[in-house]
Amino acid sequence: MTDRTTFARDALPASPAGASFLRELRERAFEEFTGLPVPSQETEEWRYTDLSTLELDFEPFAAGGDAEDLNRHGLLRAAAVVGERAGLQIQRNSEVISTRRAGGLEERGVWFGDLEAAAAARPELVEPYLHQLVPTKRTMFTALHGAFRTGGTLLYVPPDTSLGLPLQTLTYLDADGGAVFPHTLLVVDRGSEVTFLDRYASPDLTRGFSDAVTEIFVGDGAHVRYAAMQDWGSGVTHLSVVRATVGRDAELRTLSIGFGADLARVENEVVLAEPGGFSEQLGVFFADGTQHFDHRSIQDHVAEHCTSDLLYKGALRDHSRAVYSGWVHVRPNAQKTDAMQTSRNIVLSEHAKADAIPNLEIEANDVRCGHAASVGPVDEDAIFYLESRGIPRAEAERLIVTGFFQEVLDRVTIDEVREGAEAAIADELGRVG
Amino acid sequence: MVVSQEEHLKELAKGYRFDWKDDPHYVFEPKRGLSADVVEEISHLKSEPDWMRKYRLKALKHFEARPMPWWGADLSDIDFDNIYYFIRSTEQQAKEWEDLPEDIRGTWDKLGIPEAEKKYLGGVSAQYESEVVYHKIKQELDDIGVLFTDMDSAVRDHPDLVREHFGTLIPANDNKFAALNTAVWSGGSFIYVPPGVHVDIPLQAYFRINAENMGQFERTLIIADEGSYVHYVEGCSAPIYSSDSLHSAVVEIKAMKGARVRYTTIQNWSTNVYNLVTKRAAAYEDAVMEWVDGNIGSKVTMKYPSIYLLGKGARGEVLSVAYAGRGMHTDAGGKAIHAAPHTTSVITSKSVSKDGGRTGYRGLVRVEPDAHHAKSTVRCDALILDDISRSDTYPYIEVEDETAALGHEATVSKVGDDQLFYLMSRGLSEAEATAMIVNGFIEPITRELPMEYAVELNRLVELQMEGSVG
Repeated sequence: MTDRTTFARDALPASPAGASFLRELRERAFEEFTGLPVPSQETEEWRYTDLSTLELDFEPFAAGGDAEDLNRHGLLRAAAVVGERAGLQIQRNSEVISTRRAGGLEERGVWFGDLEAAAAARPELVEPYLHQLVPTKRTMFTALHGAFRTGGTLLYVPPDTSLGLPLQTLTYLDADGGAVFPHTLLVVDRGSEVTFLDRYASPDLTRGFSDAVTEIFVGDGAHVRYAAMQDWGSGVTHLSVVRATVGRDAELRTLSIGFGADLARVENEVVLAEPGGFSEQLGVFFADGTQHFDHRSIQDHVAEHCTSDLLYKGALRDHSRAVYSGWVHVRPNAQKTDAMQTSRNIVLSEHAKADAIPNLEIEANDVRCGHAASVGPVDEDAIFYLESRGIPRAEAERLIVTGFFQEVLDRVTIDEVREGAEAAIADELGRVG
Repeated sequence: MVVSQEEHLKELAKGYRFDWKDDPHYVFEPKRGLSADVVEEISHLKSEPDWMRKYRLKALKHFEARPMPWWGADLSDIDFDNIYYFIRSTEQQAKEWEDLPEDIRGTWDKLGIPEAEKKYLGGVSAQYESEVVYHKIKQELDDIGVLFTDMDSAVRDHPDLVREHFGTLIPANDNKFAALNTAVWSGGSFIYVPPGVHVDIPLQAYFRINAENMGQFERTLIIADEGSYVHYVEGCSAPIYSSDSLHSAVVEIKAMKGARVRYTTIQNWSTNVYNLVTKRAAAYEDAVMEWVDGNIGSKVTMKYPSIYLLGKGARGEVLSVAYAGRGMHTDAGGKAIHAAPHTTSVITSKSVSKDGGRTGYRGLVRVEPDAHHAKSTVRCDALILDDISRSDTYPYIEVEDETAALGHEATVSKVGDDQLFYLMSRGLSEAEATAMIVNGFIEPITRELPMEYAVELNRLVELQMEGSVG
């Protein structure tokens, strides 16, 4: 990475009136950005991903156009609205261009919409949470995000409120050479229940940059489902941090689906902060061409009597590369922890590469912790069996890979998300020949 | 609570049976600290050829230039200036136990080495401080061309073999502690097994540190020629002092085509020894390399025996047992690098931590491009016996070939309440029941040990469990 960057102080976005804390945040984050080093492969965290040649010369701001453009650009199709929504927000390039809410949301005290607008209208819902789980100074990219983010989504759900239908944000990038900073802030108060979908999509671009942050606060007894579907076109570099804190007897189920981008690094972290918490982290990816996926996860058991379960499954083809590295931390006193971490990789082509590093750090004794990782080709015995039943080899492989993913997809309880992923996998497999 | 040093030492010594100290035996007055002069002096005292002297000095530069490892255990308390890098305890190596000074000989008697030699060993090497003080190989083995000698003698007596292989698997600049060893190495074993020769009974080396602040840097090189077999066993112990000693060995092994080498370690250093060891083996076509690595003692251990599978059909196995009690950090593991087709590796690790101890498994399985049809299985299990102890698992899996099949599994748990309850209902005390469960837990490893060592390991576990539970 060279010093050449378009992210200069005079390019910092303006902050809305009434949100002076945002301006201070941007200033501080900008200072951090200029001071922080480019992540080096010498460090454990970035060992497998080389960003030394990434030029930060993307357009800091690209206009979104107006809502009339929605259909012309196929945005609604990209939003993949299959089922109904309690809310749908669309951000195109740097600007939120449409926010739709089901009737009655506001009356029930739910706030859903543009993060920037929320910071001005309801600062008390933003200031105590924004960048609290993912501090801007974490890396130069979170600092860059803190300084240059525009748009983004706040979903606030007041206590004891159950939203039956999912809410969704689509972030769409079609400004070639542009950068987006998707930010999702979910604040779900005690006893509430909600499903949120983040979808990232773009056409194939020459170059594009997505620097995303998601922060999820799950209140005591709340139930939250969060799915991120990454379907950027080629040319895009996607760096994302999802971090959540789970309250007493609360439940968080996350799903990370990755098909697109040239390089995607997705960090998914859950802190089980109070007793009785439950977390499920599912991951599904399919890499081909020269795609590089770097998946990292943390299951941080701070409180006792919590359960976490992680399952990542991925397939690799062509010259693609995938890395999974995960940490289970069990802090002292987090007794009665039950933690499981599983990473399974299926390698379909000679030149694809997969690495897995599932780590455990256990400082309490009355626990059940396990992890499992595997990397391997399609099972030849299974292919032989299917071929002996008259199924051609290509079809047999397709069946086996479909079955491989089914274990994780069966656990996805949001029908449209599961069906979407199944269709995308079928599509990937269909390209084989 | 203020604990006097005496009480602290007593506490450290609990359950450690090897805590006797002989009066110091110096042939000359040793010096603390490390410098080029110290390295020159070691080389001079050993009347080494010039290439070795230069190699040592080059390694010293590497050692000085390299930073301390930023990962793994806390090594910040090691005071390199306070260590003795070379202590000569006897004028010459003994061929009979009777020829040793009385208290040094007493040490070996207490450790039971002469007795073991009579019963079931093909050769014994006994290192005391920096040098091998006793060495003997059975006449039959000598007759068929098996070379088993201390490393210093090997440099003198088998210069071509040593020069051809020394430092080829672990070069002087491999890591900071390998560099240190290369600069100041002394003692260790050299073994050469001729083609087709099966050494049916184990060869053993025993390493004893006696002095406080001792640095022991033995260097071992084993070459098993085509189709041969050898089993090498090493043990170690030291008395307990209030300040730390350093043990930093380098072990290089070559298992040539069709050969099989088994290397068994029962490491039982006292809890004031830093044990920072580099062990690496190369397995050529159809060769088998096995590390059986028991780490029961030391203050800090960082040791990850590795196997480079360089020939088609080579196999490697690492069996690792780690124990960490009070004040101990045992960071062990294993590595398998698959660099040829149809190679297989199995790594099995069992660790037990208690009384605030910390165990770690750190491992790597790597499949190089074109090492097609590699297979590897890694299995790590950890037991944590109380709520102040800790267990970590850091497994690295790197695959660059699509036909490779790799699996890793690990569990961390405590001793099951229902298992304890069952055994106690049959009249066992809690300590006995715990020891029995732990012994069962590490059984996959102990069954691979020579019987005497398996018994020893089980006894050690029982001792460690005594007075700790309930």
